[in-house]
Order: sequence, then C-alpha cells, then structure tokens
Amino acid sequence: MTTITYPLSRIEGHARVVIDIHDDEVFRADFQAMEMRGFSYYVQGVPAEQITVIVPRICGVCSTAHQVASVKALEDVFGVTPPPLAEDIREVLLLGQLIQNQATSLFIFTMPDRVNASSIFEVSESQKDKERQFSLAQSALRIRKIGTDLISLAGGQFIHPIKTVIGGVTSGIPRQKADEMIKTIEELLPITAELVDTYWQMSLEMGDRIGSWGDDEPTYYLASTEANNFRLNSNRLRLMCPEGRECQNFSPHEFGSYLQIEDSDYSYAGISSFQGEIMRANSLARINLASSMGTPKADAYLQRFVETFGRPAHAIMFFDLCRGIELVYALEKARQMLECDLEHGETEVGYTPRDGVGYGLVEAPRGPLLHHYEVENGLIKNADFIIPTVHNMLAIRRALMVVAKRYVSVDGINSELGRAVGRVVRAFDPCIACATK
Amino acid sequence: MESQKQLPKFAVLQLSGCSGCEVSLMNSVEWINNFELVYMPLVVTANKIPDDVEVLLVSGGVRTDEDIHNLRKGASRSKKVIAVGTCALSGGVAQIREEHQARETYLLSSHRLRLPGMLPRAFPLDRFVHIDLYLPGCPPTPELFMTALKDADQAKIPSIVCQECGRQKLQDMRPTTITGMRSGVTLPDICLINQGYVCVGTSTRGGCGALCTRPGHACVGCRGPANPYLNKEPKFVLDNLRRVFTRMTDIPEEEINEALESPWLSLFLDQFTDYTQDEALQLRTKEKMI
Repeated sequence: MTTITYPLSRIEGHARVVIDIHDDEVFRADFQAMEMRGFSYYVQGVPAEQITVIVPRICGVCSTAHQVASVKALEDVFGVTPPPLAEDIREVLLLGQLIQNQATSLFIFTMPDRVNASSIFEVSESQKDKERQFSLAQSALRIRKIGTDLISLAGGQFIHPIKTVIGGVTSGIPRQKADEMIKTIEELLPITAELVDTYWQMSLEMGDRIGSWGDDEPTYYLASTEANNFRLNSNRLRLMCPEGRECQNFSPHEFGSYLQIEDSDYSYAGISSFQGEIMRANSLARINLASSMGTPKADAYLQRFVETFGRPAHAIMFFDLCRGIELVYALEKARQMLECDLEHGETEVGYTPRDGVGYGLVEAPRGPLLHHYEVENGLIKNADFIIPTVHNMLAIRRALMVVAKRYVSVDGINSELGRAVGRVVRAFDPCIACATK
Repeated sequence: MESQKQLPKFAVLQLSGCSGCEVSLMNSVEWINNFELVYMPLVVTANKIPDDVEVLLVSGGVRTDEDIHNLRKGASRSKKVIAVGTCALSGGVAQIREEHQARETYLLSSHRLRLPGMLPRAFPLDRFVHIDLYLPGCPPTPELFMTALKDADQAKIPSIVCQECGRQKLQDMRPTTITGMRSGVTLPDICLINQGYVCVGTSTRGGCGALCTRPGHACVGCRGPANPYLNKEPKFVLDNLRRVFTRMTDIPEEEINEALESPWLSLFLDQFTDYTQDEALQLRTKEKMI
C-alpha cells in the first residue's frame, strides 16, 4: 500500500489530502482537517448575551456570518424581532462578506491554479506578463477591499464585527459614507466584470487543457437563498434534488429531521448528509436554485451560465464560475441597498432575556450557517454550530476519489495529481477553522 | 512589487488561530512594496519557510506539538519575530475556560488519526522562542500591522481607547445598572459607561481607532491592558476599572464585580497574566509593544 499526503495551501485553515493506493488502485482519498477549535465546549456556561462576542472568533474569515447567526439565535431565544432597517443593514453586512470571500476565493486562492503560479503576488519573468499580473493583483485586492469596507460600514469593523446586537444594530449608515461607497462600487463594477470574464476564459482554457471539469455526477444541493430572492439574511433552508427540483423546504428548527451530522474517522471535521445522500452547499448550490438574481448584470451572467452549462449544473469547476456571478450580484445589490436611507429610523429595539432554545440562520459564502443554542439560567447550556463546509465533506471526498482515479494508473502516479487535488479542494472553498468549530 | 526580487523577505506563520490576523494583514497591502512575501500558506503555495527571512509574523497560539516544531523552526530562520494577535500573546480563546472535554475529544481522535498531539493548554509564543515585537489586538487593524512592519520605533500609540473614541463622558448621567445593551437605544456621542454598558476602553491599550465604541459597542479590551498594567496581575487592571465605574455610575458593587469577571472580558483582560505567573517567560516591556 502506498500513501501519498498532499499539504494544502490557499485555503482557510490547516488541512491535507491523503490518498491510499494499492496495486495501481485508489482505495481512499480523504480530506483531513488537522486542527480542532472546540468552541462548542468553551462556550458552555458562558452568559448567553456574551456569546455574540466570543463565537465570531471561531473564524476570522467567516466572523461576520457567525456574528449575525449568533445574534439571530439569541433573538429567537428571547423572542425579539429587530426593526426592518436593522435587517437591511445586516443584509448589507452579509453582502460585504460575500464580496470579500468570493473575491478572495476567485482571485487569491484559485486564479493562480489557472496560470500555474504559486500566488497572485508571484512575479513573472517576462516584462509583459509582469505588468499584466501586477494590474490583475491590484484590481483583485481593490475589489476585495470593497467587501471589507462594506463590512466595516455596516458592522463596525471587518473582522469580528460588532454593530449587530440583540434587537438590531447599534447605528445606521450615514448618507455621506454610503455615497462614497456607491461611487467606489460604480468605479469597480466594470473592472470586476472584466476580471470575472478573464477568470471565466482562463477556467475554460484550464478545463480544455486538463480534459475534465471534475466530478460531475448529479447530487443534492442545499442553500437558504430562494429562487427569486437571493437574500442572505435568510430564514429557511432549501434542498434541490439531483434532477433539479426543489424538493424540501424547512425551517432552522427542523434541520435535525432532514440533515444527518456525524463525526468522521479520518478528520476533525464532521460530515453531514441528506438522509445518507451526498449534498453540496456553497455557490453552485445557490446558483442552481436561483431563477433570477434580481440585478441586471448578475442576471446576464446567470443566463449565460444556464444557457452554456444547463440547470442544474454539476461539474465542480462551476463552483468557481458561480462565485463570479455572485461577486457581480453582491456589488450591484449593495449599491442598490446603499441608495436607500439606511441612516434614519429605528435601528434597535429593547429586549428582556429569558431561557429557552433558539436558532439563527444566515447564508454564509460557503452555504447555510446555523447556530443553535440552549439557554438555562441566563447561561449557555449547549451550543451547536451547523457549519456550511461540513455539508460539502462527502462531496469533497467523492470529487477527490474521481480525480485520484484519473491520475493513478498502471503507468504510475501522474505528477498532475498534486495540483489537481488542490484545484478540487479549492473549488469547494472549505473553511477548516469553522468545520472544526 | 516591480522590484520585488531585491526586497527583504517576509513570512507569515499561522499556528492555532482563526486566520483573522491574516485577513487583516491582507488589507494593509502596502507591504507589497516593502517586502517579498516568501511564506504565507493562506495566499501562497510554499512548503517551508526559507532560511534568510528578515521579518516573521506569527499568529495563533501554541496548542499542538506541531505548533512548537513549526514555531521553533520558523524563528530560527528569521532575524526578527513579531507576535501578532491575542492568541499569539496569550494562547487566546482556547484559554477561555477549562478545556478537558475538548482535549479528551481531541486526544481520542488524534490517536485514531495520527494527527498532531494536543498540549495541556494553549501557550503564548514567548514560552518557546524570543519575540522582538508584540502586536496585540483581536485582530490588530491593518494600520497597526503597517506600524509594526514599517516604523515600530517611532510609533506613537494612544495610551487608552478613550483617546480615540470621541464619545463625551457626562458627570450627571449616572446609570444604576449594567444593562444598557438591553434598552434598545444607543445614544451617539455620549460615553457608553454613562449609558450603562460594561465598556473597558478606559483601561485598554489604544491604537485601534476605537472601532467598536464609536459605532456603539462597548470595548471588550482586545488590545489588552494599557501600559501601566503590563506584567501585572489582572487584579490591578480590574481595580482600575472598578474605580472608573464607582466614579461614573451608581451601579451596585456586586453587579460591577460580576460583570468585570465575565468570560468575554477575561479572554482579553487576562492576556498578559501569564507574565506574572510563569517565570520562564520574558517580561514584555512597553518598548516591545505596539
């Protein structure tokens, strides 16, 4: 038996891929999370109202989603309904996170795979390439920064944000700041579209070069965005069947009847399934479920995607292309929302703490994120975090098996395998800190 | 970036943490013009830290045997080591409470998986290597990262958060309970303590730009205690906070004490505590703090 281990970079957290081969045959291809965070344990006994400051620290990349999910879960326990203005500001916050995340995944994590570079900061030898690369990197970082600036505007700061509180948000978004942001978005939207087109083209070329777009077997898809409403500050989960029909639609407190979550024997991350069947979450799930994005440029991209690849589309490289559609959407939608008055009006309501059970759902960049708390005597008795990356674990394993079989044969192990496992894992954009909460 | 080949080498090592420090660093991209990034697994594919690194940033706490190994190896190859963030300075969020249960789960599965072994607790970096500069914050802002990388010697860091907050402290607005956050109203421009919040900005190291308090969230002290409380037991900073609340509010003493001893504050207020208890640790002088 031969075991090959591939350490992974350009993903969030510490993980590796381990492939077992015996007699030219692939036995296992595992995606292993190498660390454990342990937040479910730390927060036991913490005063409930303090958990919203602690749990964003599960992950610095996804802290916005955790903070909002946490506040929503406590609002559910306490029976508080935040005012509509606060819900809108939270949506702007989550759009900011989507921009930051998709720009990072597209341009910093996965674009280097398309040009066989080690990073977007790598300097090419030829002068012509160097200039092109320099301008690509600059644009990519500027687009990403719109995301972090939006989070700062709506959340107070862009990592471990604080403006979302039980009952609403602490303050609105001043007109002048909103106008500055709109100006930046308008300036960068055409540049983003250009970069997404470049990325799209690079991806097609990469697919042709490799001769495969990865695991394309039909599967279930899980998201909490709707067919005609891409709202990330979501309330219900949706499941699409492999043939493309929305077959389940359930509220957060029913999740246990639909999703099975268990530990794995090869990783610190858990594994979830729909009644034992493989699911996928993240960009491809949302786009497969979307009939329309509701903003003009993003709808044009969605139409192009569906006309070219069909619906539902299954190959894993589509995850990357779908992030491009979502990046354009999030910029357009943020501009739309900032044009409204987010400064005046009621931003928060008072509340009285009480014991009970609560659920907080948001659509995080990697899929539906659910916090589930049990509060007793004002303290957290139990906290469960249902993590988007965990919904993709079985799908990642299957995609790794497909790629391992492709590159292991009687002639030996093709050296492309190392790059290929990187591409497969990055398509799912897993977050290891979250997955091992 | 144009002449990157001649620039000093710069590496970022992430131990057990949340990546928030790295995400913050990515927003202070001015370093692109000053350094050649040779190692940072989050954004660059490179399997090891090269030998001649000028500046090594380390985030995260030391929680596994692999963390110790990587930290020692990285530090031995670097001229200057900067400890970044609460976890690197204190072990971090893993210290929030006893973690026997977490460790049991971890040990069980690490035996099964042959994965890195877990240490009895999460340690700060300077338990194992010499640190040249400390950059506290959860995470430090991009501006603080640039200060640490460019002109740490000339840095003028505001002593406490209040200096940058801009909210006014009123003498005649004295809350009688710490439940301001439940009221549904946060007045702009007025000190959060006046409004019944447990804000610890009065004793917390400044430099963050008062990012939390300005929009209306109490300071939780992520930058750690201000200079007068460095290398001192937590009692000193807590005493100072008690004095502030007694002076500015009519909140009963027991309520203040209970609030100040809460987990969310201990995570940050106690981040220098080890220095009063563990003789193996170097003292953190204020000259070494950003």
